Amino acid sequence: MKNQLKPPENGYQSRMRTSTKRLCRWHGWWAAATLLMAFGPGFLWHRALVPTLVAVGLDVAMGVGMILATKKYVEELDELQRRIFLNALGIAVGVGLIVGVPWTVMDAYHVIHSHGLHANFGLLVILQGLTFLVSLLYGTWRYR
Amino acid sequence: MYQSKPPESRYQSRTRTNVIRLFRWCGGWGVATALMAFGPRFLWNRALVFTLLAVGLDVAVGVGMILANKKYVAELDELQRKVQLNSTGITLGVGLIAGVPLSVLDAYHVIPFHADIAYLLILMSLTFAASNLYGTRRYR
Amino acid sequence: MKNRLKVLRAERDWTQAQLAEALDVSRQTINAIETGKFDPSLPLAFRAARLFGLPIEEIFHDQDPAPL
Repeated sequence: MKNQLKPPENGYQSRMRTSTKRLCRWHGWWAAATLLMAFGPGFLWHRALVPTLVAVGLDVAMGVGMILATKKYVEELDELQRRIFLNALGIAVGVGLIVGVPWTVMDAYHVIHSHGLHANFGLLVILQGLTFLVSLLYGTWRYR
Repeated sequence: MYQSKPPESRYQSRTRTNVIRLFRWCGGWGVATALMAFGPRFLWNRALVFTLLAVGLDVAVGVGMILANKKYVAELDELQRKVQLNSTGITLGVGLIAGVPLSVLDAYHVIPFHADIAYLLILMSLTFAASNLYGTRRYR
Repeated sequence: MKNRLKVLRAERDWTQAQLAEALDVSRQTINAIETGKFDPSLPLAFRAARLFGLPIEEIFHDQDPAPL
């Protein structure tokens, strides 16, 4: 009797697994294209302009694919997961803004001497990535 | 005895309060950022202590601005919030796929200008404004 | 918003995971709704009503909304 009362099987989890896999694959492609773009000019084609521009084009194309995969992923999340995801995105943008602006100004005044702290996109993107991760974890924990 | 205009709803007046608060914080942040950017050169001759104070002030006001924005988004109705958060997502995506190649191109001196974070922020602001406008129109 | 999801689920001896599958959402979402931390959307509330064969207002009760 009990078994008859079981709700019908439904594929949210398996659908999300497919979606997550696709997302990871696109992130991988983008990372690979970015590595090629970053190290190719130095190590593979001696800074020849044409291959560099091709690598940039490839990277942007992969980036667009990654964004579209993320869009699809967010659309396929259920409503609570989507809220958590989008909240984390918002926090990451906010932190990027209020850290990025003072940072770039201090860099311009040479207040930051250490070479590693030179204000560039890369570090800001890493900071935003970490912020996103932390707020995603916080959101998940909060609605646990 | 018809009222020519419907009375303002509670949602409208609450959102108005929130928008005014948000504007005030954004203005404050703009002022603090301007102080931080121009103060060292024009006001205190690059004295380090004042510069660091100005940075601290800017970050503090920035945090206030983010919190005001959080409150604003939380008190928006569901559709408005969706539009707002979608725009934020698109903005971050564009910032990421534009920012990384720009940074690399700058490092290899391919582009004639320095890839400053400021440019990225301008690009992201424009993206946000455009996607917000699009989102608003789409649900009209 | 108060709801009787947990009671209805217990009556049928379903786990949160099973209810989540039936409603096509994650288990976390079921838990957050049951504990009143999250208000479901209208489509999700209707899916729950259909699943339990009850009108919506017999599952969800109008009360202060969950905080964002």
